[in-house]
Amino acid sequence: MISSSVNAAQSAGSGKHSVPDTGRLVELLAQVAEADRAAFHLLYQATSRKLYGVVLRIMKRQSLAEEVLQEVYLRIWNRADSFEASKASPITWMMTIARNRALDEVRRRTPELDDNSEIEMIADGSASSPHGRAEVSQALGRLQTCIDGVGGQQAQMVKLAYLDGLSREALATRFSQPVGTVKVWLHRSLKQIRACMAEVLS
Amino acid sequence: MNELERLAAEYVLGTLDSDTRQQISLRRLDEPDLEALISDWEARLSPLLDEVEEVTPKADLWSRIEQRLNDSGATRTTASIQGPIATDELGQLRQQLSRWRAAAVGGFGIAAGLLVALLLGNPLAHDAMVKTPHVAVFQSNDEQPAFLMTVDLDTRQLKIEPVKAQGVSGKTYQLWIKSDRLGPGVHSLGLLESADLPTRKKLQDYDPELLRSATFGISLEPEGGSPTGQPTGPAIHGTLYDTSI
Repeated sequence: MISSSVNAAQSAGSGKHSVPDTGRLVELLAQVAEADRAAFHLLYQATSRKLYGVVLRIMKRQSLAEEVLQEVYLRIWNRADSFEASKASPITWMMTIARNRALDEVRRRTPELDDNSEIEMIADGSASSPHGRAEVSQALGRLQTCIDGVGGQQAQMVKLAYLDGLSREALATRFSQPVGTVKVWLHRSLKQIRACMAEVLS
Repeated sequence: MNELERLAAEYVLGTLDSDTRQQISLRRLDEPDLEALISDWEARLSPLLDEVEEVTPKADLWSRIEQRLNDSGATRTTASIQGPIATDELGQLRQQLSRWRAAAVGGFGIAAGLLVALLLGNPLAHDAMVKTPHVAVFQSNDEQPAFLMTVDLDTRQLKIEPVKAQGVSGKTYQLWIKSDRLGPGVHSLGLLESADLPTRKKLQDYDPELLRSATFGISLEPEGGSPTGQPTGPAIHGTLYDTSI
């Protein structure tokens, strides 16, 4: 059970690769852009567990997450021809669509949804490195180093916001800080992460 | 970081409130600087998604998605358009749509502008002009929602099919018509049901000739539609093109 996303995060980087390689996904997306339903089904089979993981972690409730996931795939169907392999990997492109859609919905519903509630469903159990590519793990490693550099609660806040969709208010509640303080901390953390990433990459 | 950079960063982080988030979703369509900052932050933080554990959705979820595709007739390039509009015409129109997209964005290869295509039916069998599909290209920047609009003038059935439309939470797309014969201002043709699925409308109040010469527009409005009876949100206008050129 993912009861603490911070803990769950630490188990990443090992495990099976269930999402096919980038080249195969690029092919499938190109076929989907040509309205190939069979390719769309294959794309769904290859990516739905990952995308559902992203959406459920933010939405928390299974029924809402399923609704959002349907819309995410309809959006992928409609926009497949705008995917550009030079800008992002296919799975990142799809996860960004999924995450944006989930965040739109969860923000719209707040405070109906309690940001600090637990995820309803058990994860598949195997922490996976879904991209199955060494360079992604390296990218995660670099980013993790920069987030660690932010330190303590502020580093946790960044990950809880990004991965679990916690709002400023929910973070304020969880860390017993005024909302204004959370805002200032987030801005400071983001600025520091950006500087750190620029340094690491240079 | 300046204000724009903070907004972009927090937008991607996900911590903005709903209203601000919606504003940014709209602004990024018109502000290349903001869009670039958002893309940078997406690239910066997306490795974190590697950590997310996979969860298997319910077995019936795929069939629900498929059902929605079937219901919507969202076949993109296959023949689902009913009535006198031929499949090959639609295919041709889409090809031109792609070319415009490519031309419009040049080397950047970013997605299209808002595009409303008028594919005319064939009410006057002997009038070659009427048989020619007309397309209106609505372009304000590199990335805008895109719709394909088809009109069957015989039945006055209108269908708007999203091509690259982006839903905005709490907002609705509203369709408008403008014609000199309708006097000044624009007239609402109602709301689009969804940014992901086609909307069909019956245009009883407008004769075919008016429809043929009218300009159509789509604007983003608050849920329930424009409160004023005129477009209040971002709207894009264009000129009709003859796709045979």
